[in-house]
Amino acid sequence: MHQDDMESRIRNAVEHVAPDPLENILSSRGSQENAVCPAAEKKVRKKTRWTSLAAAAILALICCGGFAAWQNASAVASVISLDVNPSIQLRVNARENVLSADPMNEDAEVILENMELKGSQLNVAVNAIVGSLLQHGYLDRISSAILISVEDSDAQRASRLENSLMDQVNATLQNASSGAEILSQVVERTDGLEDKAAASGISVGKAALVEQVQTCNGALDFDGLSALSVAELHQLQSAGAPAMPIGQDAAFSSALAQAGLSAADVLSWEADPELDETPPHYEVELKTASGKWEFDVDAYTGAILNGSAATAQETRPASPSSAGSIGEAAAKRAALDHAGITDESSLKYINCWLEYDNGQPHHYQVEFQTRTARYEYEIDLTTGAVLDAETEQTASSSGPASSPSPAPSSLPSAAGRIGVETAQSIALSDAGLSASDVTGLKVELDREGGTEIYDVEFRTSGVEYDYELRASDGAILKSDWEAGKTSSTTAVSADVGAEAAKSAAFLDAGVSAESVTHLKIEADTKKGTAVYKIEFKVSDTEYEYEIRASDGAVLSRDTDH
Amino acid sequence: MLSMLPTASSGTPPSLDNCIIRIANGEEDALTTLYRQARTAVYGFALSIVKNVHDAEDILQDTFLVVWQKAGSYRPNGKPMAWLMTITRRLAIDRLREHTRTVPLSPEDWQTWLSERPDATQEDRLILSSLLEQLGDQERQIVILHALTGLKHREIAELLAIPLPTVLSKYNRALKKLQKSWKESD
Repeated sequence: MHQDDMESRIRNAVEHVAPDPLENILSSRGSQENAVCPAAEKKVRKKTRWTSLAAAAILALICCGGFAAWQNASAVASVISLDVNPSIQLRVNARENVLSADPMNEDAEVILENMELKGSQLNVAVNAIVGSLLQHGYLDRISSAILISVEDSDAQRASRLENSLMDQVNATLQNASSGAEILSQVVERTDGLEDKAAASGISVGKAALVEQVQTCNGALDFDGLSALSVAELHQLQSAGAPAMPIGQDAAFSSALAQAGLSAADVLSWEADPELDETPPHYEVELKTASGKWEFDVDAYTGAILNGSAATAQETRPASPSSAGSIGEAAAKRAALDHAGITDESSLKYINCWLEYDNGQPHHYQVEFQTRTARYEYEIDLTTGAVLDAETEQTASSSGPASSPSPAPSSLPSAAGRIGVETAQSIALSDAGLSASDVTGLKVELDREGGTEIYDVEFRTSGVEYDYELRASDGAILKSDWEAGKTSSTTAVSADVGAEAAKSAAFLDAGVSAESVTHLKIEADTKKGTAVYKIEFKVSDTEYEYEIRASDGAVLSRDTDH
Repeated sequence: MLSMLPTASSGTPPSLDNCIIRIANGEEDALTTLYRQARTAVYGFALSIVKNVHDAEDILQDTFLVVWQKAGSYRPNGKPMAWLMTITRRLAIDRLREHTRTVPLSPEDWQTWLSERPDATQEDRLILSSLLEQLGDQERQIVILHALTGLKHREIAELLAIPLPTVLSKYNRALKKLQKSWKESD
């Protein structure tokens, strides 16, 4: 019997016996706000089922007893903002568990895509976010900057958090050989600041930085400054904020005009702010199919300071020999077909250009990215054949990207097959995982007993998965997983620490730190996994926990009343 | 702002997220809608924990009373079922901690109770009996959550605070046990 069929039968069975107390629920509803919990009612024991009084008493018990700890765990103690240009806000409770992770702008939505940070420890979440920022190229330049802002009514805790996050992000950036600057601040949230931040769609932390720049030059407009990146704001402040910079987009436009190009000609561009140099400028780099252009653009006037079309263009033929070449559109199509991608609109980007050898056009280079992987193809100039193909799975939220691995040469076109993307989606979905959860994602077309199959392999930090899917319709022919192996590309932080482990245990038990006695914490190893053994008592109840050191997951619990 | 989120268009089932938002605004019909969509899941999960039909019935009612009261604190995040199940689990655990009140039904009582359900078929009785009698506590909770709530294995692992591999292995083992049990009864 198939698992879907079994689950369907279970659903039906429960449905047929489940009671229907809707009327009691509706008649027993209490107030939605400020539920009163008289002390005497805590001792109420329900004698008669389904009376309003009894239900109200249960609710009172729930509200004032078991849910007190839960509510405490749900209360926001600190708000952490991470701003580069992506702007992300984390709300955490007093135990530094993430209650929510919110993107404040569109760039941040991409950074947080597929991440499930709610419930994780703050340090784990910050590691994941910084990893994603690095992966998306926001922190790979020396002129990049990340701003860490902490809001907390407890000044001591705010300061401690600021310092620990600074250290953590610094270690992460150093590991990644990033020269990005780290800025930090403790922010006092005020209604005015919050309103301004909300109106401009930025975090309160960035709004505070904007206000600091305005103290240098009150004539500068809040909204205009809000549109600048953290690096621009910081450099502007250092330079005394003499005027409003034109911004990276305007610098790009100036460079474009100077090169005599249209935006459609440009494959990619970067504009590095150098506002604290003399003269203040943006370094703009344009990449087109025919070469690379570099300009220094005045930060306040948009005038070109250095570089020109004549000097910037690489010495390549102005246009390829078109005789017999298939053209960019066909080259793109050939690459997408090879990857099994039919819907171009699902791509994050796709670029195509000619590569040269000894001054002559040699092949089309096609690069594109889906939600889960980056692809690089070399397409034959005249036949459209795939000369070379590389696939790089985009990194999980907790670590860097895996090494590029050549696509199997036998990987076919999508004709008659579901395609690589669909195959990996089916396998991931079946495992209850998303692409961001896994590393080592590999899809190979194979043939078994006359049937074409996709062999999909991937792993999480503790499990290796292997799926076989029928290539024609995606049916799962075989699924297998093996626990106990650890990925080599795991999170940057390998140990959440005793404090975080303790918090995880308290949270799971629904107890507050204040109510705990006889606390004992011991680092240990269990079946090769580093764990924290945590024992404590609350009133007459004894708790024993094993918390995995790498991520704070509860491995076992034992409660003795 | 909760109140600014759009309501579901008519003709399609409203999302649970949307229901909870409307409940927070005091809309009774939204509570009814949520109840209709989640009643079986809440009851099934509660029953899988306390193994006592009377307590599970209490928890079913209490869960929706808590939802009514706490909806204002819910943050729409696309995981309303996980939120509901967290409430259900907390209520069930609280009830288990009160030893004097919660005693799993004996197999005899369980069979008697099942035979008194007018809508339960013979197959339903077989399925529910095997769920309660053949599976371990965690196995039963995992299977019920997967079958009734639509939560993914990873979300179940988070909810129950156990590692994903454990969820996967217990789920597979539980299905095999059930399959064997059902085959033997045929």
